[in-house]
Amino acid sequence: MKKHIIAAAAALALLASTAPGAYAQTLNIGMAAADVGQLDPHRATTTQDKPVVSWIFNGLVRFKPGSASLETLEPDLAEKWESSPDKLTWTFTLRKGVKFHGDYGEMTSEDVVYSLKRAADSKTSSFAADYGAIDSIEAVDPSTVRIKLKQAIPSLLGLVTNYHGGNIVSKKAVEALGADFRLKPIGTGPFAFQEYKPNESLTLVANKSYFRGAPKLEKIVYRFIPADSARDLAFTSGELDLVYGRQDQKWAERFKKEKDVVVDVLRPAELSVIHLNMAMKPLDDKRVRQAVAYAINRAQMVQFKGELVAEEPTSVVPNGYLGTVKAPLFPHDVAKAKALLKEAGFENGVQLKSVQTSLPTMLNSMQIVQNQLKQAGIDLQLEVVDHQTYHANIRKDLSGVSYYSAARFPVADVYLTQFYSSKSIVGTPTAVTNFSHCTVADKEIDAARSEPDLAKQKELWAEAQKKIVEEVCSVPLFEQLQVWAHKTNVNFGYELKDAIHLGPVITEATTKK
Amino acid sequence: MSDVAAPAPVSLAAPSAWRRATRSGGLALGLVLVVVLILVAALAKWVAPYDPDAQDVMMVLEGPASAHWFGTDAFGRDVLSRVIWGARISLFVGFVATLAGVVFGTVVGVISGYYGGKIDKAITAATDVLLSFPQLIMGLMLVAVLGPSLRNLILAIAITAIPAFIRVARGSTLAMKERDFVDACRALGYGDLRIMFLHILPNIMDEVVVMASLWLATAIRTESTLAFIGLGVPPPTATWGGIVREGFDNLLDGWWLSVFPSLAILLVMIALNLIGDGLRDATDPRAPQ
Repeated sequence: MKKHIIAAAAALALLASTAPGAYAQTLNIGMAAADVGQLDPHRATTTQDKPVVSWIFNGLVRFKPGSASLETLEPDLAEKWESSPDKLTWTFTLRKGVKFHGDYGEMTSEDVVYSLKRAADSKTSSFAADYGAIDSIEAVDPSTVRIKLKQAIPSLLGLVTNYHGGNIVSKKAVEALGADFRLKPIGTGPFAFQEYKPNESLTLVANKSYFRGAPKLEKIVYRFIPADSARDLAFTSGELDLVYGRQDQKWAERFKKEKDVVVDVLRPAELSVIHLNMAMKPLDDKRVRQAVAYAINRAQMVQFKGELVAEEPTSVVPNGYLGTVKAPLFPHDVAKAKALLKEAGFENGVQLKSVQTSLPTMLNSMQIVQNQLKQAGIDLQLEVVDHQTYHANIRKDLSGVSYYSAARFPVADVYLTQFYSSKSIVGTPTAVTNFSHCTVADKEIDAARSEPDLAKQKELWAEAQKKIVEEVCSVPLFEQLQVWAHKTNVNFGYELKDAIHLGPVITEATTKK
Repeated sequence: MSDVAAPAPVSLAAPSAWRRATRSGGLALGLVLVVVLILVAALAKWVAPYDPDAQDVMMVLEGPASAHWFGTDAFGRDVLSRVIWGARISLFVGFVATLAGVVFGTVVGVISGYYGGKIDKAITAATDVLLSFPQLIMGLMLVAVLGPSLRNLILAIAITAIPAFIRVARGSTLAMKERDFVDACRALGYGDLRIMFLHILPNIMDEVVVMASLWLATAIRTESTLAFIGLGVPPPTATWGGIVREGFDNLLDGWWLSVFPSLAILLVMIALNLIGDGLRDATDPRAPQ
């Protein structure tokens, strides 16, 4: 009892002494999700998790804040690196004196080796497939790491950036925390995890010993507000400084007019796609899949979403990635769709089933798809479930038509491997996100990955995209630019143009007046 | 039907009761409103100005105007048409679920009250357990377990209604079975089933009907609430709760999205409560003559 009173008094004293200052330096962020997915960087793939991971972790190299281009990669935990002439051996020299959050000590080559091996293991990582070309990773000395490759790959640096599997975790922390690590992440980044309130918020605090200098912000409070209106209201009323916007034109236009608000429309775009499960009737019939492709009206999709925030896709891989081509997508032709259905024996229409999330933006897109398919006599039944169940169920191969919107590392190989390679088929041990059971482009995807000549590699990627479109493994709908908004008193400390982590990077230089 | 005329203590058909019920005008007004709503819902195909699911990219989030009285939603769909079509689902779910609850609950209640003893104890205990859950929570749990679909929604709401009707029917049956006409039936050698359902049941129906009219309102409200929290009939089917929910996402861009379906819910609540109150007044023997 006595202890409690002392603790309470101490807490009060602390509150009284730090409250006013701390309040002004807390960055309040609103996210369109009901809860966190997970913060283990080697597992986090969802829109609500990725930005947070980018504030907590570092890679050996990093994307320059505000940029998503591979050309801008700069040193992060590695000071410098060199590669052998055949590009098969890479040696990284680590920055010295970098500390992990909490009591987890200094970052050494041991942590780097452990992290990259962890990222390459499908039991501990969602990105294991990306690391298939790595032959060995070894610690030469406490500040030198050597990576050997089986064959040359498009971008080795891409695998060691502060992105997905490239994030460096603390070996000690992962081993000590075990399964708890997913919600108690320990990294080296400018902000350290402090508190998680389920369905409510995450709190991060400044990492005072951050190697680029102590952050100017004291705290980040990342709030989960799935209801768009509630989030908008919280932002307008000043409760939030930075908010995940609604991905539609009206929203962007309305907030552009608000005083003290800057709307950020960011790349890379997320490509929205419907994956057609060809292991399921009636989608096993290619004519039915073609009918779906003909029934989709991409121009109308973009109109609904708004030209400010959406664009027409050109392929089954997002625009602007290394290797994306203008693939021969099916034009909108309802008559052809109907003719194909008739040929397939579905003269009176056909019913397709889809497991779909209740998140408004995604559900809205699917309602537009539903309406477009209806014109061609395709009845799309939506089984609406909460977001986590949706993610779980489409991965259990339970959905006929799976709507998925994603951005990946901007090299065609990653997207093609994760969504269209037979190794990635959902429900298998090596599953990633191949919801369609697509297998037609395996040869090209594999060959391109180890092709040293860039021109030839691009040809192979182009061929893969063409085959996937023709087989109708998936039908691209639209490209969704990321929409955020911040108050003018927030200064990111860099020019915000792109957001590879699906949200603005908050750095040591970010301030709030 | 029966060769012994069983006396009917109170009957809805009695002229004095009807006069009492309609004296305030509430019952009549409620009935008129409900009949109009049912007609509009039944004739939705002809009454609704547009196809409720037809999207129009050029007419997204337009306010109320002569072309669209209730405005349009985020997909350019006509809100008036959706409210009219939504009435079908809301009323249908309400009526079917309440009817199911009434039939099952009353039968079980009569059996429980008539036989007494162990059967009665068991049924009463089960009813108490069911009643201990707040009605909405119970509906929510059932829909969450069964999965959102029209059938499951009706089932869930019906199940939440059952215990209330068991109680009413059981209580009335307990009182009724002590009456002389039941003894007379027994003396004539009638079977239990015949006594329960041909003689007791008609005499407790008025209380059940009053209860049903109030429960109908609750059922419709439950449907709307479940739809609002995303456990209703899947899209694109228009339901009142669903329209309010979808409108809620765009509330700052269009107040009309949620206001009109909410008004529809309010209207039907008022109408059903007027009917319920009127019927209660009419059948309450203590009400002033």
